[in-house]
Amino acid sequence: MKRSDTRKIHLPVISGREGDIIITRWIVREGDSVRMGDDLVEVSTDKATFDVPSPAEGRIVSIRKREGEAARTGDIIAEII
Amino acid sequence: MRIAELGIVDYLNALDFQKKTVEDRIAGRTEDTLILCEHRPVVTLGRTSGNKDLLDPAFFQKKGVKVLRTSRGGLITYHSPGQLMAYPVFLLPENSRDVSLFIDLIEKSVVRALRRMGVDARRSGRRGVWVSGKKIAFTGVAFRRWVSYHGVCVNVNNDISAFGKINPCGEPDIEVTSVRAELGRPFDMREARALAAEAFETVFSACYGAKAVC
Repeated sequence: MKRSDTRKIHLPVISGREGDIIITRWIVREGDSVRMGDDLVEVSTDKATFDVPSPAEGRIVSIRKREGEAARTGDIIAEII
Repeated sequence: MRIAELGIVDYLNALDFQKKTVEDRIAGRTEDTLILCEHRPVVTLGRTSGNKDLLDPAFFQKKGVKVLRTSRGGLITYHSPGQLMAYPVFLLPENSRDVSLFIDLIEKSVVRALRRMGVDARRSGRRGVWVSGKKIAFTGVAFRRWVSYHGVCVNVNNDISAFGKINPCGEPDIEVTSVRAELGRPFDMREARALAAEAFETVFSACYGAKAVC
């Protein structure tokens, strides 16, 4: 499998103001197959939780942010192939 | 906007109803829905809340009050009859997909409703709704496919003494109040629900509606 086939999944913009976002719970694991729109991970701001959907169909080949870790909009959180 | 009034219900039953409504909203089987209800006594913890904010577990255990961990944002709070729960299950418009803005609108809706009840409610730099430095409403939301659930609880006629047994929202220094405490008399819950419905409709349609201004 060519590395160029992998696609990076970035933390989407969910808020203009809430600051750090915490990765609270991965719903999928490395190796899982997903469809576009499937929930991948739950993230939290101060007063909200948000299920991040998969931007594409494929297989999750790596998870780049651990549960409990802070993330910013645009950070790479996973890779899909 | 559809209004769903559930009466006084167990927290988990209301959560089941919310989740079903979320799925229906995602699938386009229903319109935006504001769920209004009250809960039998229960303590809820938000997704990132620890047990340290439950100051007196024995107090709640003795009363048979369950402590539930939930999927909403925010930390710890206490629910009981007389507290108005407003759970907006709304699909956020594509041009207004901002979690912070959504919570702002919930708080603005609650301020509008409370002022019509005769309470001088305000927003402050901190989340929630406040009356002279005391907290009267608590927010905590969740989103799936940009459809919201959970929401806000507003102390209307409920007994607020149990808030002394927790750190509401993880803030040990805050005082809590209610509409009844502020007015010195109970407030009709049916009227409170009607005012909440009007306020959510007005505030959210001004921002998310066809003639959106924010």
